[in-house]
Order: sequence, then C-alpha cells, then structure tokens
Amino acid sequence: MMRASDFGWIGCHNCGAVHSKGGQTCRTCGSALHHRLPNSMQKLWAWLLTGIFFLIPANLYPLLSNEIFGHEEGHTILEGILLFAQSGDYLVAGVIFLASFVIPFFKVAVIATLALSIQHGWQLSPRLRHVLYEFVEFIGRWSMIDVFVVALLTGLVHLGAILAFLPGAGAICFALSVICTMLSAQALDAKLIWDGVTNE
Amino acid sequence: MTSLPDVTPTSDDLERRAWARLFEADPDGVIACPSCDTLHVAETIAPGQVARCKRCHFTLIAPRRDTLNRTLALALTSAMLMVAMLSFPFLTLTRQGLSNEVSILGMIGGLAHGWYMLLAIVVAMFVVGVPMLRAAALIYVVWGLRQKRPPRAAREVFRLAEAMAPWAMTEVFLIGTGVALVKVAGLARVGFEEAFWIFCVMVLVLALKNASVCRWTIWTMIRERQE
Ligand SMILES: [Zn+2]
Ligand SMILES: [Zn+2]
Repeated sequence: MMRASDFGWIGCHNCGAVHSKGGQTCRTCGSALHHRLPNSMQKLWAWLLTGIFFLIPANLYPLLSNEIFGHEEGHTILEGILLFAQSGDYLVAGVIFLASFVIPFFKVAVIATLALSIQHGWQLSPRLRHVLYEFVEFIGRWSMIDVFVVALLTGLVHLGAILAFLPGAGAICFALSVICTMLSAQALDAKLIWDGVTNE
Repeated sequence: MTSLPDVTPTSDDLERRAWARLFEADPDGVIACPSCDTLHVAETIAPGQVARCKRCHFTLIAPRRDTLNRTLALALTSAMLMVAMLSFPFLTLTRQGLSNEVSILGMIGGLAHGWYMLLAIVVAMFVVGVPMLRAAALIYVVWGLRQKRPPRAAREVFRLAEAMAPWAMTEVFLIGTGVALVKVAGLARVGFEEAFWIFCVMVLVLALKNASVCRWTIWTMIRERQE
C-alpha cells in the first residue's frame, strides 16, 4: 500500500484530493493543504491539559443539587451513580458510570498514550493506535449525556416548593472538559499514526 | 477500491510508476485517504456500495441512489421537525396536584440566567443550533447542485457542514432524556408530550440524512460544476 507522502504528494486532509508537491490550497474543497497538520501535537496537548484541568473540579464539585421540600442536597458524579444503583436502576447507573466516569478518564489516558507513542516513536502497533483513535473519535460526544441530564432536570422540574433541581459547578466543568478533550482528539493528525510504518 | 489492475504486487517499483502515471494522467483519478494518506483509485461504484480505505477502513466513497434529492428531502424534513419540536411542550411533570409543562425552548430559557447561562448555551448549541445550521448548510449546497448552478459559496458551506458534524448531539440528548426520566420517576409523574415524540422522529431523520450524504460524491460534483 502506497501513501501520498511516499511520492511527496499532498493528500487533502478534508476531501482526499491529491496534489503535487508545493500545493497550497485544495482544488476541490478549498482547504489549506498540509503535508501533516501544523502544530498538531502542541494543539492536542494544550486542549488535553485544559480538559484534564476541568475534569478534576468536575468530579469534586456537585453536578446537581436537588431541593425536596426546601432541603437542598448536592451530588457529585460518583454520588449520583451510587444513588441510581441504590434505587435499583442498574442499567442507568451503568450507562452513567461509563459515560461520565470511565470514558472521560480513559479517553484522556488514550489521547495521551497516542500522542506520546507518536512523539517518541513507541513500538505500539499502528493497528492498535488506529483502534484507539477511532474509539476516542467515536466516544467523545457521548460523555455529554450527564450535562444534558442536568440541564433537563433543572429546566424541567419546577414544582414549587416541593421539588426542584439546581445545576452544580461540577456540571459546567464537566461540559468544558468534554469539549476540550473532543477538540484535543480533533487536533490529532491521524496520518501521523501511520508515518514511519513499513507495509504490514 | 481495487488495487491497480496492471500492477504485480511483488514489484514496488512498478506500483510506484503506475501510481505516478495515473496521477499525471488525471490527478482526480486518485484519492488519498483523508485519515491515513493511503492512495486509492477513484472509481465510480454502484449506489448502496461502500468503498473503504484498505488500510484504516475510513469510508471513502458511499454513493446513494438519488443522493441530492434524498439529502434535500431529509434535511428539509429535519428542519421542519425541529421547528415543530421547539413549538410544542416536551414533557409534563405532575406531583401532588402541581403540574409543570416544559418545552425545550422553555428549558433553555429557564436556564439562561447567572452562570447557568453556560449550560443553556451548551444545550442550545449542541442540541438545536448546530443540527439546524448543519441542515441549513446542506440544503444550501444540495439545492445549488440540483439547480446545475454552481453555488458560489458551496465549498465553504459544505466544509463548514462537515466540520460541524461531531458537535450535533441530538441523539446524545435523547439518551440524556431517558436518564433524566429515570431520575424523576420516583419523585413525580411524567407525561410525554408532542415535542418528545417529534424529537424521537427527528433523531431518526437526522441519522438517515447523515447516511445519505456521500462526501466524495458531493465534492466531485462541486469541483466539476465549478470548473
Ligand atoms: Zn480538499
Ligand atoms: Zn485510510
């Protein structure tokens, strides 16, 4: 399997049109042409570190408070999951545990591993790196579930003094963390995954 | 995507020369996978078939029968469903005689004060704004291509539509609704209103719309009409 870079050609990152050396703008889609995206790794790390920075308060501060008969009680992500499990909603507890706890941390770890393995030429198989990349690309948006739950409960449940929900500071930190890690994954030039790999 | 027919896979040099010839003859006869840079021969394949990258399985070409009309119809439908969804109530909560009916706009509006505003912006953007902008962008591009008139900004608009794709989160919101319902199930009685059902249909239509767009087909049309 030959790649455009084997010939010094530039494949458009957006539409795949092939251009000879020195091309500036894609004739098909008008995107700027790059052999590899400029500063891909710096952008990735900047967004990833910001994402990690927000992920910590996202787990320490309450995501959601409920006010039942004037009695206010806040829950962090993990406390919210425990509440679901205690009331027997194991499916929901499982979904939220995955979407809001396991995946955000796992995703950060995967992006960092990918970046380090590319930057330091670690002997990870490109096949494995590719699977990890696909996973991160696919899963990113699903972590937003909990943010939408908070918004829905707050906006929906206004039953006078009986019952109300209020968003906690953790919710916005969590949303920002998800957005930053999505941007971090998008900053990665997937073509780097296959560079320096001889045909398998 | 078949490999070159006139190439013996044992000979690197022959393959190299074959690619170079092909590229010189017609640069648009060759595609480099946008995800991994592997070269492929651009071939017109039958509607319904999918050509994936040999190396990373990225979808390169996935033409649909009647792709322009289908995309236009689905994008228009999704836009109309969104407008309808926003103008009807979404859910009703009842507890001890107190009842509360909320629409999605009402929910966003209810959040729009103080720092809750950030949450309102997140929902408004990812659930309503981006999917609608994306549908509008596709309508503009596809409408223009259907008229056989090259839309002046088609390239920029289609690029924008594609870049927005990961940020349209209607299906994530639907799962979120399910979780929120479980959370209030013990606390209040929940009634599903029109907007909820419209939302479910809209998620389906948006998924069909995304599947009806073949990027390569659209880009090829845009290039050919602009020449
Ligand atoms: Zn291009
Ligand atoms: Zn590929």
